[in-house]
Amino acid sequence: MDEEPERAKRWEGGYERTWEVLKEDESGSLKATVEEILYQSKRKRVIESHGQVRLGMMRHLFVVIDCSRSMEDQDLKPNRLTSTLKLMEAFIDGYFDQNPISQVGIITTKNKRAEKLTDLAGNPKKHIAMLKKAVDTVCVGEPSLYNSLNLAIQTLKHMPGHTSREILIILSSLTTCDPANIYEMTKTLKSLNVRVSIIGLSAEVRVCTVLTRETGGSYHVILDESHFKELLMLHVKPPPTSSSSECSLIRMGFPQHTVNSLADQDAKPSFSMSHLDSSSGLSLGGYFCPQCHSNYTELPVECKVCGLTLVSAPHLARSFHHLFPLDAFIESPVEELQGNGFCQACQGELKDKSIFTCPLCRSVFCVECDLFIHDSLHCCPSCIHSQTAS
Amino acid sequence: MKLNIEGLLVYFPYDYIYPEQYSYMLELKRTLDAKGHGVLEMPSGTGKTISLLSLIVAYQRVFPLDVTKLIYCSRTVPEIEKVVEELRKLMEFYAKETGERNNFLALALSSRKNLCIHPEVSSLRFGKEVDGKCHSLTASYIRAQRHINPNQPVCRFYEEFDAVGRQVPLPAGIYNLDDLKDFGRRKGWCPYYLARYAILHANIVVYSYHYLLDPKIADLVSKELAKKSVVVFDEAHNIDNVCIDSMSVNITRRTLDRCQNNVDTLQNTIQKIKETDAAKLREEYRRLVEGLKEANVARETDVYLSNPVLPDEILKEAVPGTIRTAEHFVGFLRRFLEYLKSRLRVHHVVQESAPQFLKDIFDKVCIDRKPLRFCAERLHSLLRTLEIADIADFSAVTLISNFATLVSTYSQGFTIIIEPFEDRTPTIANPVLHFSCMDPSIAIKPVFQRFQSVIITSGTLSPLDIYPRILDFRPVTMASFTMTLARTCLCPLIVGRGNDQVALSSKFETREDFAVIRNYGNLLLEMSAVVPDGIVAFFTSYVYMENIVASWYEQGILENIQRNKLIFIETQDAAETSMALEKYQEACENGRGAILLSVARGKVSEGIDFVHHFGRAVIMFGVPYVYTQSRILKARLEYLRDQFQIRENDFLTFDAMRHAAQCVGRAIRGKTDYGLMIFADKRYARADKRGKLPRWIQEHINDGSLNLTVDETVQLSKHFLRQMAQPFRQEDQLGLSLLTLEQLESEEMLQKITQIAHQT
Repeated sequence: MDEEPERAKRWEGGYERTWEVLKEDESGSLKATVEEILYQSKRKRVIESHGQVRLGMMRHLFVVIDCSRSMEDQDLKPNRLTSTLKLMEAFIDGYFDQNPISQVGIITTKNKRAEKLTDLAGNPKKHIAMLKKAVDTVCVGEPSLYNSLNLAIQTLKHMPGHTSREILIILSSLTTCDPANIYEMTKTLKSLNVRVSIIGLSAEVRVCTVLTRETGGSYHVILDESHFKELLMLHVKPPPTSSSSECSLIRMGFPQHTVNSLADQDAKPSFSMSHLDSSSGLSLGGYFCPQCHSNYTELPVECKVCGLTLVSAPHLARSFHHLFPLDAFIESPVEELQGNGFCQACQGELKDKSIFTCPLCRSVFCVECDLFIHDSLHCCPSCIHSQTAS
Repeated sequence: MKLNIEGLLVYFPYDYIYPEQYSYMLELKRTLDAKGHGVLEMPSGTGKTISLLSLIVAYQRVFPLDVTKLIYCSRTVPEIEKVVEELRKLMEFYAKETGERNNFLALALSSRKNLCIHPEVSSLRFGKEVDGKCHSLTASYIRAQRHINPNQPVCRFYEEFDAVGRQVPLPAGIYNLDDLKDFGRRKGWCPYYLARYAILHANIVVYSYHYLLDPKIADLVSKELAKKSVVVFDEAHNIDNVCIDSMSVNITRRTLDRCQNNVDTLQNTIQKIKETDAAKLREEYRRLVEGLKEANVARETDVYLSNPVLPDEILKEAVPGTIRTAEHFVGFLRRFLEYLKSRLRVHHVVQESAPQFLKDIFDKVCIDRKPLRFCAERLHSLLRTLEIADIADFSAVTLISNFATLVSTYSQGFTIIIEPFEDRTPTIANPVLHFSCMDPSIAIKPVFQRFQSVIITSGTLSPLDIYPRILDFRPVTMASFTMTLARTCLCPLIVGRGNDQVALSSKFETREDFAVIRNYGNLLLEMSAVVPDGIVAFFTSYVYMENIVASWYEQGILENIQRNKLIFIETQDAAETSMALEKYQEACENGRGAILLSVARGKVSEGIDFVHHFGRAVIMFGVPYVYTQSRILKARLEYLRDQFQIRENDFLTFDAMRHAAQCVGRAIRGKTDYGLMIFADKRYARADKRGKLPRWIQEHINDGSLNLTVDETVQLSKHFLRQMAQPFRQEDQLGLSLLTLEQLESEEMLQKITQIAHQT
């Protein structure tokens, strides 16, 4: 049939109405309304992040990546798989940036099976290296939601109760091939307090809607690549915990990084615990566990000897700001703007129909900067500026 | 919320209202004010039922003398129950708002099968058996016999009802079928007869079409309903066919054989009675001499056989002498039967009119028109006299006598066609006599004449003006409403070409064309890869579907499709189909995805809703024209042309398009639902076809999507499905397609609403 994947040239590919994205439709106004709705949800995210909610700061997240036949589809460039993997790298970076004391694991599913690409670990480098390697995977067969979820909970269910257990599925296929009833699995997930979120690459699938609704996750379908990125980044922020999860005090170690010079007589070279398998282990410096003095080259990590969580103070501080989010800016129509029409942050002209004002310093921002400030900076640049100036 | 519809206070049991509901009520009120009939088209899923009920109930409360009763006719039992539940919600709202208990009585009526609470009778499986058994327990002479012989079994529920139930009216309230049964059990009364009795003084009656349209039943059940009633026919897009079916008779050789047995039984029974109780027969004879009026004083339970002719056509005179005695009548039946047998022995197709038939029967066996006309009535009387309890057995002779009465009463609007074999199997002799009604207005005429307002409404009634023409009435309002949408949730696409530019069409010449079949397969294959969950595909006929599926199998297309989704097929076997449907829904539910291949005009296309994920796309392969070579259809077309000046082509297209609209309409069952509607035939692009689609579908077909290739369709579908998968909450609808009271009352909105109704 003509549905063979060897559609190498762009002009042989699907017929796309690229101009429709630009179309202003005044009668049915489909484009406008959907955009409007999206815009609203963007804003909602900022507004919603407020209020005193308990957040799951120690996250254990499994990302399931669909590697089935449909990932060969070229509606994302160059194809769905490559595009997804690239965005995943950015996601992993962002994730550890925002959640330094959390862990991630990657699962791929194809041919009705699920395989672990990487185990739950707190080291972004390893994940990214594996993702880079995975670009060459051959996409065949169908995915299996059941098997992937099953594989994920095998590990997740042993995680302590105070951490948030999450699964994020990137699903491209519209079908799933399951060995058993998926609704039973939903119940199991629910009882284990695992939150399943799904990002669909093609269309809304019923079973995903139910799965995410039951487990309290979110379900989104991408429109295009930038929307895909946006949806992925939604999952960077720690989600509110369910009230049933337990709270507990956690012992943490804050090892100092010490570098012993060879001249020092007391210095003994030691093996880094995280590189035991590799040959180049022996070194003089590193982070030493305050409890058992094992040597580690990187933080954060869980001590392999005594099981203490080792973090650095800045890591903890980075996780901290989620608890004290920046107040939402006040939205008002652009007509009400007094003074010059430029955004305080990017200095661009304010062209959108709404502007955003910081409630403290009364500076005006555009939508994009508003999002950037709330999602990444977590503090108002203009407030900081005035603080330092005074 | 409380609405003000041109001065009428309407209680509406929801906090939000769709603009089109308001508009609908406006039109409805105008119709009621004018005391005339109306034709209203509003898309399914926009709350037609509750709008109708709210407005008419409000009207009844304000003008209790103008509108005394609402008769709501629906098609199936589940639909009837849904209507009653909506009504219950409305009444609860009334009670809450006004704080007083209103004395509204509303009830649903259905067949004995759905209402019987007698432990033995209700356990029977088929409607006919229940009716027969019930009759054998409740007929007046059975009950009379009980006085003599106390061992004679009777139905205690009916006895109790007869003794007490009639004096005490049913307390006000809303009674669904189950409520009636509960009430019946509590009191020990028969719910069926209770309901039939109670509809006379109920404010709202919800029942099936047949209770009003089929003269055989209507005469029994609906005879005494008040003139100042409002009659609503919901889902009325097929009302003409219901009318026609209720007046048509088909006679096969099997019918005649069974009839022969019936007549023999009658003969024997007469013989027996003559020996034991000759006085009874003499008594009957005397009554017949006195006239039919006397005979009409039958008790309600005896009415197992009613005259198939409409009430005003019955002659108010005595039964002619030739068939007055029982033996003569049986002899007469025998002769008539022999005549029919001889007619069925033909080897070629015969088509004749009723007068021709009458002349022929007079020439051949000397049967006059007049006794034929009284045949049904006479048989009725005879069966009663002979006290035959199990009337289910006599269905064959009943059918024949109905035929006799109909053929001699109506000289116009009917045709007789005798076919020695079916068209598809010309070698197997299977003679059938079709006595076919061609004029739907005959059956519905008394309804229009008798009741003050008749409302015909459905999701698909386009083009509106054809219904008044074929049903022969003059409506005061005809309006079509569109669906106001916050997002365009339906996406009609017309696929006219394959990827290789071959024109797609199911027309007769290209039916066997491999290229067309392959392209159709390709379309389904590609759609199965981009549409999530369920796809419903409709073909024009079973034969066509079988051919195509066989061909797809040979070309390997089927195998490829199965990689994406499971395939289920509707067959003519009801049990098999419901099994397929169940499995189809399961596959949609658990993420496997499925395709249901079915047939326009089949069970799936009419009664089953594919909400949300059960139907994300509907593909209509070809234009579902009715089988045009059928002689019955040809006769009907001719009649329509001669009597109503409707051209054959117009009617055929209208009929095809209303079925196509029904099929694709299955996917959208509300504003939060969304679905693709794919018309895979290039003929849909023509103005005469497109123009006959309902307005709410038509307005979403833009010029760019009139002649798409398969590839373009796939791209558009992908885009649409992604758009629709974005989160959609109620707030997004508010103010646009969902209004609060304040929003509704704004000047701007009222302005907009006037544009929703499209008068023709």
